[in-house]
Amino acid sequence: MKLLARAARIILGALFLWASVTKVPDMAAFAESVANYRIVPPSLVPVVAAAVVGVEILAGVALMLNVWARPAALLLAGLLAVFTVGLASALARGIDLACGCFGGTDAATWWTVLRDLALLAWALGVAASSPSPPPSPSPALDPARAP
Amino acid sequence: MNTVAQMALLAAAGSALGLAANAVSPHPAELRQPVLSAAESGGGACAMPASATVAQSTATPPPWRPVRIGVDEAKGLCTACLAGFVDARGPHEFAHGHIQNAVHLPAAGHPDEAAVVAQLRTYPLVVVYDGDYSCAVADDVAGRLRRAGLPDVRVLQGAWPAWVAAQGPSAAGMCGACGPEAFGK
Repeated sequence: MKLLARAARIILGALFLWASVTKVPDMAAFAESVANYRIVPPSLVPVVAAAVVGVEILAGVALMLNVWARPAALLLAGLLAVFTVGLASALARGIDLACGCFGGTDAATWWTVLRDLALLAWALGVAASSPSPPPSPSPALDPARAP
Repeated sequence: MNTVAQMALLAAAGSALGLAANAVSPHPAELRQPVLSAAESGGGACAMPASATVAQSTATPPPWRPVRIGVDEAKGLCTACLAGFVDARGPHEFAHGHIQNAVHLPAAGHPDEAAVVAQLRTYPLVVVYDGDYSCAVADDVAGRLRRAGLPDVRVLQGAWPAWVAAQGPSAAGMCGACGPEAFGK
């Protein structure tokens, strides 16, 4: 079971690392994809697009190295939730857009939404199987700091 | 440090990393330049030709490319009867619903195309639309009308779905020229 959890974490990290790295050669195109979702104000689109790519890179590396894996998986789950809702909302409104995933320009479909939902479940599973950070010692309970 | 704090730290560091990646990207996003969606900027597949500027003055004029018109502007022209409208879709779609007073001019041609062109020539501007966001069929028909000598032919951005969404004036009924045979009767 531990082996499965480890494989799921590493593969998820590699997947996001790959997805983000493929966007770096054409960040302008990814910014346009983000704009087409029409959920971010136009003036913030370039910064948000760059930030999303950076967060995906960092979270991907963190998952692969098992450093802060739980917050990294939760962060990716949050991104996926936003992507999924934005994509579903755009498709429901009849907006014809490319999802911007993996640096491609393929048109988004309801299959893309399903794929994102599967990835979201995967990321939440990885978060659940990753250990929580140890609680910081409370001065009241720490005998060394007790008065 | 708890999970939320770690997430915040990852998000902040990731954002900084993303901005750095953008700086080294061969095609970076212009951070100070707002990025509009294709529908808002006229830069989408259906509106690409409109963004082409013809500022260069060369010996040979550039080839004509379909120019887009936004649905709001087209609606105003329709209400004021200042533009002729051409429906480039098939007979079934036309019969089901079309822009009020639009003439049916499908890509396959019209039985009396010369008369239709003459009718459209009475308008200073002609707007062509089809049913697809790519506007490929409308582009073809617009090119045909342009070659027939109409001076100002534009293609409706967003096509028929955009017109319906904007609640533009519409009508239903068969195209008289197509006749019932177009419906397989």
